[in-house]
Amino acid sequence: MNNATSPATTGSNQLHIELYHLMTMSRVLDRIIGEHDGHWHGLEGEEAVAAGVYHGLRADDVLAPHYRGTIIAAYAKGADLRTLLAGAMGKTTGYNMGRYRSDICGPAQYNLIGLYSGSLGPPLGYATGGALAAKLDGRDDVAVAVFGDGGSSRGDCHEAMNLASVQKLPVVFVCQNNQIAISTEKKNGVGGSVAERGRSFGMLGVEVDGNDVLAVHGAMQEAIARARAGEGPTTIEAVTYRVAGHFYSDAEDYRDPDVVDRWRERDPIRAYRSWLVKEGVLDEAGLNRMDEEARVHAQTAMDRALADPAPTAVDLAPELVFAPDTPREGERP
Amino acid sequence: MTRQTFQQACVTAIAEEMRRDRDVFVLGEDVGTFGGPLKSTNGLWEEFGGEGRVIDMPISEGTFVGAAVGAAMRGKRPVVDLMFLEFLALVTQQFGLDAGAMHYYSGGAISVPLVMRAKYGVGPFHGHAYDFHSWLQNIPGVKIVAPSNAVDAKGLMRAAIRDNNPVLFLEHMALYHAGRMEVPDDDEFVVPIGKACVPRRGSDVTIVASALMTKRSLAAAETLEAEGISAEVIDLRTIVPLDEETILESVSRTGRLVVVSEAIKTGGSHNEVVSVVAEQAFDRLRAPILRVAPPRVPVPFHRDLEKAYLPDAADIIEAVHRVTRHSIPA
Repeated sequence: MNNATSPATTGSNQLHIELYHLMTMSRVLDRIIGEHDGHWHGLEGEEAVAAGVYHGLRADDVLAPHYRGTIIAAYAKGADLRTLLAGAMGKTTGYNMGRYRSDICGPAQYNLIGLYSGSLGPPLGYATGGALAAKLDGRDDVAVAVFGDGGSSRGDCHEAMNLASVQKLPVVFVCQNNQIAISTEKKNGVGGSVAERGRSFGMLGVEVDGNDVLAVHGAMQEAIARARAGEGPTTIEAVTYRVAGHFYSDAEDYRDPDVVDRWRERDPIRAYRSWLVKEGVLDEAGLNRMDEEARVHAQTAMDRALADPAPTAVDLAPELVFAPDTPREGERP
Repeated sequence: MTRQTFQQACVTAIAEEMRRDRDVFVLGEDVGTFGGPLKSTNGLWEEFGGEGRVIDMPISEGTFVGAAVGAAMRGKRPVVDLMFLEFLALVTQQFGLDAGAMHYYSGGAISVPLVMRAKYGVGPFHGHAYDFHSWLQNIPGVKIVAPSNAVDAKGLMRAAIRDNNPVLFLEHMALYHAGRMEVPDDDEFVVPIGKACVPRRGSDVTIVASALMTKRSLAAAETLEAEGISAEVIDLRTIVPLDEETILESVSRTGRLVVVSEAIKTGGSHNEVVSVVAEQAFDRLRAPILRVAPPRVPVPFHRDLEKAYLPDAADIIEAVHRVTRHSIPA
């Protein structure tokens, strides 16, 4: 763990409590959503990247999260958990009103950029455009664009890095490198280092231990500060491992279970817990209490979401496909 | 009024909207000091470049259109120059599937006010001619406009920039620098998206066209008049959303429909016009509907092949003769 963020150094336990909450909440959500949706893309093993990257962004910062972690990203950005879960269940009360799957498409109200179609890559361009808008308007908002080792192979990734570099845009590119793209191992999908690619586009490129939440968070804070100061983009490659299946009901017969077990032993939540206890931020009982609070919060939100109404044929509303000249009631201009 | 070409009318509309609304900006390949492909952004760099509102892009069409989408999501009103419609395949995910879905999928939380300009069409430049716009007709949430003259180009460009949806703005290269028209200077002059116009009234047959095909249909109608056939010409101006009312009203009077297209016959957007009439005005038809469109081959190079490929006035006249020979009683 990164001692620069030791409570003794920062003088505050709040950051650690918030980061731990995001991690434990993410783990809880995997189970609660997975029980209802076999296609849920779980985050087990990668929670340190999600918490470290998504924590502490401002309302006007644009965030294109990895699809694996979109709900925790939206939650970290301030979205309501029950509404998010209603969205994951396709309910009318979700941010997407049952029109689209909210597990991979976060609420635009919170400046999240989702996968509006299932293809990886284009959101990196949208995030870059969000950064361009901030630059044009003279605001110090940043854009965070997260992709996997799989998505790093898209031309979109390199085009966005190049564009952000030549325009000196406030973008933080994060490769959530979980070393496997569905079943394709990194060695068969990624040539070289993604951080190095960032450097080759003329920006700072750093590699961090993606199972160390404080290392990830520290690298993010530095990159965000540079972006806000007008010093341009950064690429962070956070190396972790996808302990979860590609989706919840994945049979995973394409990989060696021993590899998964070895990474499970490096569980980022357990590692952070040990550190928090050692540093005296919280004791085991306090951490267990936080786990239980997260579980109750998520379960209550899910129970309500499940009781929410499902859309009916009237809700298809093809007349609403185009944005009107002036916003309809309840719609943002 | 100012005498302007199609190209000048487009640039003037953009400049005026940029003065009116600080959120409007221009991006694309060579839109800066070069002045845009075929002068498509001529003079904008000189006026707005210093404010950073005319931005040259690297050759990354998918991502710079994506960046325009992302900026539009944050309230900007980008005008992207795609250079040529031939590049449409590179941006269909960003401009079409994603930008077209965002308003609906987000439950109305966002809109994507974005204009994507694209030059195309068989014309004097002898290349980059492909008319692929029909692909986008099959993607919900995207508008498509295809003006046939400088006046409509100006009014539709203004409407497109003010629209809160992704709009594909087609700029036909054979119309681009071909002749000048008196173009209104009036601040409020806007041609609404979704409204066709009827540049020639007639009673025997309805010819529906857009862009260069409107020009050729009007020439055909002139010849037909001399033969005693009264052809009505509808200029769609907007391909999506289609002005069904104007088409149905006309066909209800004439009882005959000829649809003229620069996109190939199979899967072209003109087929939607045919479908609308077949579904909603079948009982008013006095003859089968005919389509005049290029065959299913890629746009050829040699001028004689090109001429054989693209519908001309003679092809339109022949189609009109075929439908007017039919006279099922009204």
